[in-house]
Amino acid sequence: MKPRLATLAHGATTRLGLTVLGLALVWQASTALLGVPASYLPGLDAIFSMMHRHPAPFIAGFIRTASEMLIGLAAGTLVGLINGVLLHRHQLLRQLLLPLFIVSQTIPVIAFGALVVMWFGNSLLSKAVIAFYLTFFTITVNTLAGLRSVDPAQIRLLRSFGASDHQLLWRLQLPSALPDIFIALKLAVALSLSGAVVGEWFGDTTGLGVLLLQSMYNEDMVTLWATILLVALLGSLSFAAVALMERVMLFWQPRA
Amino acid sequence: MTATSTHLAAPRDNPAATGLMIESSSILALDGVTKRFGQITALENFGVDIRKGEFITVIGPSGCGKSTLFNIVAGLESPDEGRISHHGKPVAAGDLLGQVAFMPQQDLLLPWRTVLDNAILAIELEGTPRSEARRMAMDMLPEFGLTGFERHYPQQLSGGMRQRVALMRTFLFKRELMLLDEPFGALDSLTRSMMQRWLLEIWRHHERTVLFITHDIDEAIFLGDRVLVMSARPGRIKLEQHIGLPRPRLGEVVTSEAFVQLKRKLLKELEEESMKSFTP
Repeated sequence: MKPRLATLAHGATTRLGLTVLGLALVWQASTALLGVPASYLPGLDAIFSMMHRHPAPFIAGFIRTASEMLIGLAAGTLVGLINGVLLHRHQLLRQLLLPLFIVSQTIPVIAFGALVVMWFGNSLLSKAVIAFYLTFFTITVNTLAGLRSVDPAQIRLLRSFGASDHQLLWRLQLPSALPDIFIALKLAVALSLSGAVVGEWFGDTTGLGVLLLQSMYNEDMVTLWATILLVALLGSLSFAAVALMERVMLFWQPRA
Repeated sequence: MTATSTHLAAPRDNPAATGLMIESSSILALDGVTKRFGQITALENFGVDIRKGEFITVIGPSGCGKSTLFNIVAGLESPDEGRISHHGKPVAAGDLLGQVAFMPQQDLLLPWRTVLDNAILAIELEGTPRSEARRMAMDMLPEFGLTGFERHYPQQLSGGMRQRVALMRTFLFKRELMLLDEPFGALDSLTRSMMQRWLLEIWRHHERTVLFITHDIDEAIFLGDRVLVMSARPGRIKLEQHIGLPRPRLGEVVTSEAFVQLKRKLLKELEEESMKSFTP
C-alpha cells in the first residue's frame, strides 16, 4: 500500500516540476525573443540576478510573512477545531454563535485592519490576528460538518461498548471528520497568506506585503515580480506541507 | 416488613426451590416490553428469558421490530412499557450499555485502524491497556482465521474476513450475552454456511450466550437452541420453537428429516406473517 502511494506522489511531483519549468521557459522566451518591455514583464534572469545581488530584504520579508501566516493559521486551526467540537456538542451554542460567525465573515478584513493595528500595534501579532480572523471560520464550519456526518450506526456501536463522550470524540468523531478538516485547512492556507500580506499594508517595515507596496510606489517592476514569486513559493510550500500531512494522516482514505 | 423478610428467607431454607434455580441462570429477561415510534408500534408485549449458555435465534418478516428489540437489549433504547431484568435484578435500559457485546449488521470497522486495533476497540474503551489488549487479540487471531492479517487495514480484506474481525471484537468484549444482528446477511451462501459452522465452534469453546437475529430459516434452525418467530408489526413472539437437534451440528444436519420438519413448520408460520406485511 505504502510504496504505491510513494510512486503516485513522486509522479505528481515530477509532473508539477515539469509544468513549472515549462512556464518559466515560456516566460523567459517571451521576454527575450518577443521583446516584451521590462517595464511590463521583466525576464526571469533579471529577477533572479537582482534577488541574488540583494537577498537580505527578501529573506527577511519571507521569514516575517511566513511567521505571521503560520501563527495565524495555527491559532485559527486550533480555535476552529475547538469551536467545531463545542458547536457540535451544544445545540444552544450552535444556534447562538454560528449566525454570529457568519456575520463576522461578511465584514471584509480591510474594515478591521486599522482597528487591529491600533489594538496590537505595528507588530507581527497584529498580522497574525488578521490571518487568524480569515481562517478560524472555515475550520469551524468544516469541523462541524465533519463531526455531524459520522455514521449514527457507528456511534451506536461505540455507545453499546460503553464509550464516554470523550472516547467517542477521540476514537471516532475526530478521525472521521479529518477529511473535511483537511479540505478546510487547504483553503485556510491561502486565506491566512492573504491575511498576512494584506495586514502588512496597514503599516510595517518588513514582510512580503511591504515589499509589494514599496515596489508599487517605486515602480520597481523587478522587485514586484520577485516578491510575487516569493509569495507564490510560500503559498505552494505551505499547501504542499498540508497535502503531505493529509496523505500521511488519511492513508486509509480511498483516493481518486 | 416481617412478612417480606420471612418470604425472602424461605427459599434459603429450601435449597431445592426450582424457582431460585431458574432465576439464577437467567441472564436477561424481558417482560411485556412495548416500544412505539409515533403511530407505529414496533414491539408489543414482548417477553423472553435468555438463560446462560443458550443460543437463541430470532426470525421474522422484514420490519417486525427485530432491530428495535436489539437496540433495547443493547441498552440503546428504552422501552415505553415493560420490565427488563439483568441477572434477575430489574434494570433500566440505559444500565445495559456496556453490559452486552453487540454486533450490528454492518461490520463498522474503523478504516484507520488495523485488524488488530479494530478487534481491541471495545476492550480498549473499557480501559484495558493497549499492549495487553493487543496481546489478547493476537492469541485469538488463529481461531478467527486472521493469522498474518493483524497489520492489514479493513479495506484490504474480503467481506467474510471483515465480518470475522467484527466477531472477534465482539468476543474479546467479554460479556455473557452476545447480540448478533444478521452478521452473515451480506455474505454469499457458501461463505455463510462456513461461517455458521465456525461460529458454533467458537460459541462452544467460549461458552457464551447468544441472541442472534436472522432472515434465514435454515440459519435460525441450524444455529439455535430455541427459535423465536416474530409476528409482523407490531412485533410479538408468535412461536417459540425448541430445536432438539444434537450438537455438535455438522453440515449434513440440514438435510435430515428432523431439520426438514422443523423448517416446514417454521416456514408456514413465517409465511403467514410475511403475507400480513405484504398485503397493502
